[in-house]
Amino acid sequence: MTPTRWLGLLILVLAVAPLVLPPFFLQLLTEIAIVGLFATAFNLLMGFGGMVSFGHAAYFALGAYTAALLVKRVGIPLLLALPAAPIVAAAGALLFGFFIVRLSHTYFAMLSLAFAQIVFTVIFKWKTLTGGDDGLLDVWPPSLLKSPAAYYYFTLVIVGLSILALHAIVDSPFGYALKSVRENPRRARYIGIDVRRHQLAAFVISGAFSGLAGGLFAFYNGSVFPDFAYFTKSFEPLVVALLGGVQSFFGPLAGAFGFKLLEWLISRQWPVYWPLFLGGIVVVVIIVLPSGFVGLVGGRLWRSRSAAKA
Amino acid sequence: MAEPISGQGLVLQTRDLRKHFGGVQAVNGVDLAVPPGDLRAIIGPNGAGKTTLFNLITGDIAHDTGQIFFGGEEISGLPPHRLCRKGMGRTFQITSIFRRLTALENVQTAFLSHHRRHFNIVVPARRLYRDDALALLERVGLRDQAAKPSGILAHGDQRRLELAIALASAPKLLLLDEPTAGMAPRERHEIMALVARIAADTGLTVVFTEHDMDVVFAVARRITVLHQGAVLAEGAPAEVRANGDVQRVYLGATH
Repeated sequence: MTPTRWLGLLILVLAVAPLVLPPFFLQLLTEIAIVGLFATAFNLLMGFGGMVSFGHAAYFALGAYTAALLVKRVGIPLLLALPAAPIVAAAGALLFGFFIVRLSHTYFAMLSLAFAQIVFTVIFKWKTLTGGDDGLLDVWPPSLLKSPAAYYYFTLVIVGLSILALHAIVDSPFGYALKSVRENPRRARYIGIDVRRHQLAAFVISGAFSGLAGGLFAFYNGSVFPDFAYFTKSFEPLVVALLGGVQSFFGPLAGAFGFKLLEWLISRQWPVYWPLFLGGIVVVVIIVLPSGFVGLVGGRLWRSRSAAKA
Repeated sequence: MAEPISGQGLVLQTRDLRKHFGGVQAVNGVDLAVPPGDLRAIIGPNGAGKTTLFNLITGDIAHDTGQIFFGGEEISGLPPHRLCRKGMGRTFQITSIFRRLTALENVQTAFLSHHRRHFNIVVPARRLYRDDALALLERVGLRDQAAKPSGILAHGDQRRLELAIALASAPKLLLLDEPTAGMAPRERHEIMALVARIAADTGLTVVFTEHDMDVVFAVARRITVLHQGAVLAEGAPAEVRANGDVQRVYLGATH
């Protein structure tokens, strides 16, 4: 089967899922889609730009809180509040990214973490606006989207379009130049690319889609909390992308699926031990399967295909 | 602002260029004048300052004092990507390519950037400048390798690829830092003959460093000899070969 047919089959399966699956699994799939978008946006930096952010929760939380605050405090409906999530997250990414892309490797990671902790602290302390530790509750979508099936479809469409957009970006001239910066910044400068500016642009795009994921999650969850911006949340897309495979565009999506499925299976049996299992799984994947879950199935296929195109 | 420029018409000019690292005066007052169409070799023993001079000209490192003019315009302090946009191309002493991209993608990306499409996020890049990139790969003898990840190409082919990447930016001046390093003698002559041919066809000005004197004397139009960070001699190959100082400090040592 060609990739197009696989994609068609996947869309068909996802479309009929609400007819056969109970609401719980629709919610699980909804969350997988949101985490998948977050990790794919994160991986635009890590896999394609060679930039490892330890602070992407900042942009997720900015998106989540923007959507929640607009609905709760301003009374704007979801359909208008949600588009504001990526915009505010992008603005945050532009502001922080301006400083972060001046550094590389460990320093890049640590500064991104530091900015995320600032976001966390502001959310945590600014009680009158954000509710502080209590978070913001009752952030529900309008009644039309309130059922698990409706919000599932809604999320699927938004995430699907976002994934298409990110895929187009990776394959665009911008994406080619981003990969050249990842491969060799010195050479990239000497084909005329302003490396920092390119990295910043990628950072803003990544932040925007992370914010959109945060906005979707706010309405899925019905509430937002400061730990959306906490550093443990920043490691979620990192772990998910590593599990799925950072070299492949669809790796983080596969990673989100595997991550959430395993989390459900294992924490159903041994709720306390999920982090222990997760640690073990990460170790095994990194050592045995460096190209992630996608290395199990499609890695070789995709590689030979992309090589055959030239 | 720059004083009236005596080097009008020169592609590249340096005036009293100096750079020291700690106590080492790596480049010690170099005056270089490269006219259009020149095929200039810069030679000298190890540590003579060739690569430092290159890195000063290409904006990789800042000089201490002196001036650099490119096409009559002072370029001191401009970052590499701006110099590239102004028409300066270069290759590195240690092969510098995009290893996980195919040979074709390497050159395509350079074309995309040259045509200022590199912020376009809408169209697929795969077909853009594909024919130009393939033609350029053909020119450097890599057409058959186009689809391979460049990191697995043979060393000599990677050097050729880097040349193609540099040429894709349509430079007016091409600086090649030991373009034949690590190549077999026969391949060295081939690649430098190729550079000379391309330069002749396109009017490109080339400045290169090279250790292999056979190669230098076969292709260079003029030669500048560096010694301890300063210009020891300069002239046509025959003049330089006959120069007593050069023979003493450099050529004699290699024979």
